[in-house]
Order: sequence, then C-alpha cells, then structure tokens
Amino acid sequence: MRVTDKMLYDGAARDTGTLRSELSKAIARASTGARFTHPGEAPAAAGLVTVDRARAARLDAIATTAERAADELSIADGALGEINNAITRARELAVQLSSSSYGAAERAGGAKEVRGLLASIHASLDARSGSRYVFGGRMDGASPFDAAGNYVAEAGVREVEIAPGVYQAASVRADVALTGAGGGTDVLATLEALALALEANDAVGVRGSLDGLAAGTSQLAVARAEAGAMMSALDAAVAASQAGRDAAKASVAGLIDVDPIQAALELSRAQSALEASLTATAKGLQLSLLDKLG
Amino acid sequence: MSDLLQILSSGAASLAAQRAAMATAGHNIQNANTPGYARQRAVIEATLPAERVTGAYIGQGARLQTIQQARDRFIEAQLPGYQGQAARSAAGSAALEAVSALDPEAPGNLGDALSGFFASLRTLAQNAGDAGARQAAVGAARTLALSFNRTRAGLEDARTGIDARVAGSLPEVNGLASSLARLNGEIRTARAAGAEPNDLLDVRQKTVDQLATLTGATPVPTSDGDVSLFLPGGVALVTSMSASTISAVGDASNAGHLALRIAHPGGAPQALGAIGGELGGLLDARDGALRTAVQGVDQLAFDLAGAVNTAHRAGTGLDGSTGLDLLDGATAVDGAAARLAVAASVVADPRRLAASSSAATLPGDGQNALALVATEAQALSGGLDAAGALASVTSAFGSAAAGLSAAASQDAALRDNLVTMREATSGVSIEEELIEMQKAQRAFEAISRVIQVSSEMFDTLLQLK
Repeated sequence: MRVTDKMLYDGAARDTGTLRSELSKAIARASTGARFTHPGEAPAAAGLVTVDRARAARLDAIATTAERAADELSIADGALGEINNAITRARELAVQLSSSSYGAAERAGGAKEVRGLLASIHASLDARSGSRYVFGGRMDGASPFDAAGNYVAEAGVREVEIAPGVYQAASVRADVALTGAGGGTDVLATLEALALALEANDAVGVRGSLDGLAAGTSQLAVARAEAGAMMSALDAAVAASQAGRDAAKASVAGLIDVDPIQAALELSRAQSALEASLTATAKGLQLSLLDKLG
Repeated sequence: MSDLLQILSSGAASLAAQRAAMATAGHNIQNANTPGYARQRAVIEATLPAERVTGAYIGQGARLQTIQQARDRFIEAQLPGYQGQAARSAAGSAALEAVSALDPEAPGNLGDALSGFFASLRTLAQNAGDAGARQAAVGAARTLALSFNRTRAGLEDARTGIDARVAGSLPEVNGLASSLARLNGEIRTARAAGAEPNDLLDVRQKTVDQLATLTGATPVPTSDGDVSLFLPGGVALVTSMSASTISAVGDASNAGHLALRIAHPGGAPQALGAIGGELGGLLDARDGALRTAVQGVDQLAFDLAGAVNTAHRAGTGLDGSTGLDLLDGATAVDGAAARLAVAASVVADPRRLAASSSAATLPGDGQNALALVATEAQALSGGLDAAGALASVTSAFGSAAAGLSAAASQDAALRDNLVTMREATSGVSIEEELIEMQKAQRAFEAISRVIQVSSEMFDTLLQLK
C-alpha cells in the first residue's frame, strides 16, 4: 500500500491521541480513586451502585435509630431499676412495720419514708431522653402520670424499624408495669395504701400491702425483662444493620473504588505506551527524501 | 533542414509536457495537506502521427495528453456512508457522555437525596415531637425535590443544547447543499470546454464528504457527471443543480424541541422523517436515551410523590392537621420531576409534616413517619422501589451511552480504514512528487540538450560555404 506523508501524520495524531486519552483516563482513575464516574463507563455497575448506596444509607439510618431506641430503653430500664429498689425498700418497711412490736411513731416514720419512695418513683417515671418522657409511649411530650398517680399517657408503645420493613416495640408500657393495666397490680396505689396504713398505724393494712408489693416487684421484673429483651433485639438489629451497611458499602467500593496498585500499573503502562508511540512517531517522521536531495 | 526545424518544434512541445509534469508535481506538493485533494498526474504521450521518411517513421517527441486525478471509485462510493455512520454514533456518544445528571458519584445526586430523605424520616419517626428532627425532615424533602428538579433540568438542558447544535448546523448544511448544486453546474461547464476540472472535482468531493458527515446523505453520480445527494429514507437533498433546504421548527409533541423539515426547490416545507450523520446522532441522543431518562425521572418523581402523599395524607401533623400532601407538583407524569416541590404549607410550618397516626397520640407518635419510610421499599409503577427505579434509569442511560460509545469506536475504525485506503490511492506522497520533479527536471534538461544539439546542427548547416 502506498503510504503518504498525510497518512503518517494522521496516523501519528490518531494513535497518540488515543494513547493520550488512555493516559488521561488512567490519571483520572489514579487521582480520584474511582473506576468510573459516568454511567456509560459501567452501566450495570452504575445501577448497582445506586441500589447499594441506598441500601447502605437505609441500614445506616436503621442502625442509628435502633441505637437511639436502645439508649432510650436503657434510660427506661435504669428508671425501672430505681423503682424496683424503691418497691423493695417499701416491702422491707411493710414486712418490718407490720410486726406488732412497732408502734405508731415508727409507723409514722415509715409512712414518711414510703411517701418519699413514692415521690422518687414518680420522679423515675418522669425519666426523659432529651425532652421526651420515656414512659409516655407515643405521647411523650408531658409527664405520663398525674400527681395522683394516674397514667395519663397513651396505652401503646413506640415502634422502631430494626430491619427494612421490620418493626419492633421500643418503649415500656408504664401503665402495665406500674398501674397494672390489663389485669395486673397497681403498684402506685399499693404504695399509697401502704403509706395510708402506716399513717393510720394499721398493722393489718400494712400487712395487706405485702402481696401487692410482691406482685408489683414481679410486674417490674417482667417489664425490665421485656425492656432487656427489646434492648437485646435492638442491639442485635444495630449490629446486623451495621454489618449490612458495611457489606453494602464494601459492595459500592468494590464497584467504584479502583485498586491503587492496579491504578498505578495502568498509569505506568499508559505512560510507557504513549512514550513509545511518541518516540516511534518522531523517528518515523525524521526520514524524508527532502533531507537527502541536494 | 525541415527535419531539424521539426526537432526544434517537437522539442518545444516536449519541454512543455515536462514543464506540465513539473507543475503538476509542484501542485501536488502544495496541496499535500489540503482536505479532499486527490493527487494528480500529468499523462504524457508520444506525439502522433510520426513522420514517415523513406520507409521509416520518425517520432515527433512527446506532448501532454491530460492531467489525471487518482481516485478509487469503489472506495469513494463507500466512504460517505461510513463517514455518516461514524459521525452519527460519535455525535450521539459525545452528547450522552457530556451529561452528568445521572452520575452516581456526583455530589448531591438523586440517589443520595432519596436516601437522605428517608433517613431523616426514620429519625423523625423515632422522635416525632422533636422540632429539629422535623425541620431536618422538611429540609431533606426539599433537598429531594430540588435534586429531582436539578436532575431533570440537567437532562433537559442536554436536550435543549442539542437543539441549539442542530439549529446551528443547519445553515452549514444548507450552504453546503447549495455549493454542491453550484459545483455540479461549474463542473458541467468546465467539462464542456473539453478538460477534466480536477480541482473542482476535489472541492465537490470534499463538499459531499462534509454533507455525508453532517446528514448521512449518500451521493449518487448521474449520467451527466453530476452528483446528487439523498438523505437516509431516500429524500433528495441535492438533485443535480438544485438543492433543498432543511429547516427546524418547535415540535409541541416533543416538549417544544426542534423537528426538522425539508423544502424542495419551489415546494413547501414538509416533515423530514429521517436524517443521519452528526445531526442524526444528535437527534438520536436527544429523542432516545435522554428522552427515556427524562421520562424515567418524571415517572419516578410522580410515583414517589404519589406514594409519599398517600401516606402523608393519612397522618396527622404536630398541629393536628391531616389530609395534606407533602410533595406538590406531581399532578401528571410529564414534567413531574421538574415541578416537584415540598408543599408550601409544610415548608411554612414544619409541624404540618404528618409524622403521627392520630391527633390523640401527639407529639411522640412517629407511626405515620414510619409509614412514610415504608414508601422507600414500596413497589412503584414499574414494579421496583424508588432506588431500584433510579438504578434502572441510570443503567438504561449508561447502557445507551456505552452502546453508542462502542459503536462510535467501531464506526470510527471502519471510517478511518476507508480514509486510509482513500489516502493510499489519492494522497500525496512528498517522496513520490520529489522523484516526479526529478524525473521531469532530468527530462527537461535532456530535451533542452536535444534542442541545443539540433540548434548546433542547424548552425553547422548554415555555415556551409
């Protein structure tokens, strides 16, 4: 085939242009760390990246909210623990002061202590996470109990998403745990009755509160066990979501992130190819009959 | 005596032939880099008839027969089609490559905005009474709406930019078509004078190449020596010495984007069904992958807004409001992504974001926020959830761009191969031309020597006493 000067120059321009473009891409990959930026460079991967990113963000948000819910349950559990201590102390007082060996003065002192315990229980029932009353269920904007010990919040629980589309209760029903809603013992009323019996120096009445206090202790134990189970489930959800999120992020990274060693090798290869092409082109263009003719 | 004079006379003609060969080689060298130029060669032949002298024929030197162009008709017939196809795929590929609206790595992309919106709703669901979480959720909804607006605008801007390029190319196309018709006439006139107008042929070939690149038109030589051009679909762009005119008008059925029309000489403009080349590639991209992507984003915005609003209307805001939409503007699929916005009433008062299921369970009830969150995984009209639908739009666009890019590379390689073959036949080799010049120079010197010797012989005869 005839080879003209224009063919040589056009070919050199085309070849070096192609290699320079490759070098530019290799530099972009090495400097940005991204295997592709435009969907046209990797259509399937671009779609997968979108899905995996959404999955990672979804699981990250789930882990974050589940973690917060676990923290709130921890606050509720701590408050229930305080309440349990108060009831235990009330039981001790009731056992002690139901004995005929104690008189009115001791029982009046005991009544004061029980009133104090009731106040501390009310304070514990007003436990908050930020501005939210953790025992208010979904009505968490105000104290869930009125001064008389009546539960005035909602008889329901808040829910939190622990996996995509899977929801779990994330609050303790204080009305069940403390006031015996649904067939249990009203611990607050029992304590109030104990206080009144002590104030009235009524040993029989004091003794009569023991069963209620025992039932209340059991009730609280059940509530704490439920809270513990919820916290455990939430902790598991956090761990699972974080693992899922990390897997999704790893998938995104696998799709997008370029291997640094591979990127460096590609860059080196592109540089070498361009250098070789430029050298060959320069040598090829050096030879001309123009230089030989006198 | 007369023989010697004949030698002098034929020598002069032969010198003129060599001078023509020298001039042709020089012309070739001067046009070595001229686009469309085909090398020429002086064809020299022995002068006929030879003189008969006593039973023998004595030749009468040489003369210039013609200046011939080196062209391979087979390659020339194929090349316009490949040029048009390569230009078409390259233009389409470049148009899609320039669009960054769907880049998965772009900051603030639609996918991130979607995730951010649902993440903010999850936070709100957990603490529905929190003013900060509520404000953040409204902010994330606005970011999502803006991201839809931006993404669609990016795609639509690309389509509008293509319109501008198409409109900008039409004067060039029409000018070239007129030039081709005029060149056909000039070539006819020149041929009528008895010589092949090589340089005019080059200009015409270059014009054909340019029109093939711009429109995908294919040339058809006529028996009169003209070249007519036909667009894909068989519509004539140039017929011998008359050229049609292509124009563009807004097409209401295609969001006002330009539609091409063609007017034949003396006729009214009519819709142009098909065009190739660069213009065809641009229109392919505009009405193909870009339009599909715009429709996909609109559909996603419409479906998502519908799902979110359905959930939102069922809920109750912190102020007790209910039955409100969260996202406005998605009243119809077409243009939904461009119009999408957070409802003004919610922006004005974020308490109207209906995170709760009932007014009785305010403020901490985030049950309806969870219902809003559930729309993230809800199957939309295409059977995919929001992220899946966006991924589908992104992948489809990427596949179209990748396909065009691959086609562009392949078509360019085919075109380059033919261009190389054309260049191998018609291109100017400096070395060849230098050698031709040397040949002509040597011949010129030798013929001059013949004339000199003849002249000396003539002088010798004249000096006889």
